[in-house]
Amino acid sequence: MRTNKQDTPQTTPRRSDEPIWWSLFSAGGVCVAMLVPAIALLVLLGIPLGLVSAEQLNYQRLQALVFHPLGLGVVLGAMVLPLFHAMHRIHHGLHDLKLAHGRLAKWLCYGSAVLLSSLALWLWLTVSMASG
Amino acid sequence: MSRKPYQPPMPASWWLKHPAYRFYMLREATVVPLLFFVASLLYGLYALGQGEASWLHYLAWLQQPWVIALNSLALVASLFHAWTFFALFPQVMPLRFGSRTLPAWLMVSAQWAGVLLVILALWWLLGGVDAHQ
Repeated sequence: MRTNKQDTPQTTPRRSDEPIWWSLFSAGGVCVAMLVPAIALLVLLGIPLGLVSAEQLNYQRLQALVFHPLGLGVVLGAMVLPLFHAMHRIHHGLHDLKLAHGRLAKWLCYGSAVLLSSLALWLWLTVSMASG
Repeated sequence: MSRKPYQPPMPASWWLKHPAYRFYMLREATVVPLLFFVASLLYGLYALGQGEASWLHYLAWLQQPWVIALNSLALVASLFHAWTFFALFPQVMPLRFGSRTLPAWLMVSAQWAGVLLVILALWWLLGGVDAHQ
């Protein structure tokens, strides 16, 4: 007589949560391809490359652009979704490189994406609310 | 069940053994500089919320050689990712009009045109037109 738990057939298959992570990864992939080059080129590298002046990136203009309601789209498209995109690839990369696999690695990867996304949204919301 | 199925050994260096595997790993690796890009934006968002002095400090930080190097790497990585990603679209979702399928090269070019349009739009938002008159 066997009482091994693994031998009892599962009546309902466990639903995978992969579609959620893959959708976020895929949406992030579109954003990385469409938005990231523009922001990297003009904002992060704009001054060193001579494409924009420091005057063009002045505090008043950037504050008005970023903390505008449409700036939330930038936070989502250039930070939140790319974070889920990156952590999805790192999660699978850790498995591919045989560095880590299983629950803990998955929790750490997607957990850090959630944490950093929350930080970005919180930074944006506190200033946006304060400036009305 | 006491079967012992044969499990072929799989060393961690498996991906070095074929050009296609190396290409796959290179594409996966594009997210490492991407994380630096997101960190740069997080710092920028924080600095912008702190006030003007903090923002000027951030602009100076962006011009440090090591920051320029890592952000350049992030830019190249995002373009490489875009190149691989845009090629997928005509394969995953071919657009058909009647009996005709939109050629793959046209769909890929349209996506690159989109990238260029976003760059121009952001340049315009940053007052590029006024600044260069």
